[in-house]
Amino acid sequence: MRAPAPDADPAARVAAGEPRPHPEEPAAEDELIMHLERDQFVAETSRPVSRAALTQRAVIALWALRVFAIVVSLMVIYTFIEQLN
Amino acid sequence: MASTAAPTAPILTPPPLTDEDAARSFDRSRVHHARLGGRRWSLLWLLVGPGILAMLGENDGPSMIAYASDGAQYGLGFFVPFIPVLFAMAYVCQEMCMRVGAVTHRGYGELVLQRYGAVWGWFAAGDLTLTNLITLVAEFVSIRVGLAYFGLGSGVAVALGLVLVVFTFSGGRYWRWERIVLGMALFNGLFLVAAILVKPHAGAVFGALDFAPFPGGSFNTLLLLLASTIGATVTPWMIFFQQGASADKGMTPRDITHGRYDTAVGAVLAAIFGVGALVAGAALLTHGGGGIQGFAGAGFPEALQHVAGGAAGTVFALGLVEAGAVAILTISASTAYAAAECVGVTHSFNTFPRQAALFYAANFGIALVAALVILIPGAPLLSIALNANVLATVLLPVSLVFMVMLANDRGLMGRFANRRSTNVIGVSVIAFVGICGAAYGIDSFLLATHVIG
Repeated sequence: MRAPAPDADPAARVAAGEPRPHPEEPAAEDELIMHLERDQFVAETSRPVSRAALTQRAVIALWALRVFAIVVSLMVIYTFIEQLN
Repeated sequence: MASTAAPTAPILTPPPLTDEDAARSFDRSRVHHARLGGRRWSLLWLLVGPGILAMLGENDGPSMIAYASDGAQYGLGFFVPFIPVLFAMAYVCQEMCMRVGAVTHRGYGELVLQRYGAVWGWFAAGDLTLTNLITLVAEFVSIRVGLAYFGLGSGVAVALGLVLVVFTFSGGRYWRWERIVLGMALFNGLFLVAAILVKPHAGAVFGALDFAPFPGGSFNTLLLLLASTIGATVTPWMIFFQQGASADKGMTPRDITHGRYDTAVGAVLAAIFGVGALVAGAALLTHGGGGIQGFAGAGFPEALQHVAGGAAGTVFALGLVEAGAVAILTISASTAYAAAECVGVTHSFNTFPRQAALFYAANFGIALVAALVILIPGAPLLSIALNANVLATVLLPVSLVFMVMLANDRGLMGRFANRRSTNVIGVSVIAFVGICGAAYGIDSFLLATHVIG
């Protein structure tokens, strides 16, 4: 990667492998983070989203679909092995 | 946009910054400046990637062989319009993935796991790993078939695939990874070149667009063709990949329009190149094309050489190498996103391997296992390749159901949640894929167990 100019965007300098601006350089640090939305930061995406409340009917439907997919998959695998023989 | 379990920090407190954030911020700064400067083409160039890669990555070795086999056995009618219809279906699914990734900044695996529970998240990751492993074996077979045309063996195929995977890791930047794979993926156009080289009758190609009825064969053959052709167009790995890559690229809700362009361009290119493989294969229809069926395309380049000249055979062989190589990169990446997301560790190409060991280990590890399988003497490689698409089709509806649920989740998506029309199309796609996959699985099983004749 090309070395960025000394007055380049701080994000470009960091992406090029230079150390991140020192925290006491607030302007540079601000410029580094201004291009990201707040919920894009690793610190934010590392926090789990809350659990959705599924209705009983939805849970039953999902399990039915899952069991059906497993059964049909086993049929395909059995047929595959049978064809090999 | 996504609601989090823990309370968020005060708005003025900057979150701690990681190297991954800094790299993504750099990419976003270029998008920001292009948007501010009104540079529309530059903005498009910066934002395309995940959609084209998902679509052209799915034009992989087994898929192109499946299209060419369709052409060699049944000609152009039925399939010329059917392939674009399937890619239109793929667009509907992939647009949802892109949108969810851009709005939540999270991958499919972690959202399913966190939003609906660990059981569903791990089921999804398990489905993906199984189908990806089988598909990756088929990709190495595709490279081997292509290289065999030039007299090169399976060792070269394995080395080429694994070296490419490692090469794309270097740099610790998503942007670099994406551009390398994107550059390679454009060579999927070799199948269009092969189609031109076989000198098809233009009237026959365009005449096939009137959706001729299925050309014949048994009910089970029809189901197999439907299931494998669907599996050649929409698969679970594409869902994990495009959502994970959109988040990794740093896309935001402001980029959704460009994400749609990206996905649409990918779908159109993939459909054109897929039809290219079909047309190239159709050149063998009147030259004993039925004989191609038994060996799953292993003889396509040589057969084309005899029928349409050495250039057509060479281009088709190179196309198979490209299709396999690009798919190895994208499918391995989807496995890495899924594994690291479900475990809850760093999952980004904006890191170096020492910072995201599991992510890179899963990426390389699954490619390595698949590569080792093709080195096993006597392994039923071509049968594996044929069945990879069918298994993906059977498992796809579950992944799609969760995709539609996520895209409808207003707690996550807010005003970017699905419209009613998108849901109608999405549910129709799920029903069509589910019925075709299940019908083939059940019918084949009943035939294999001699319950029906």
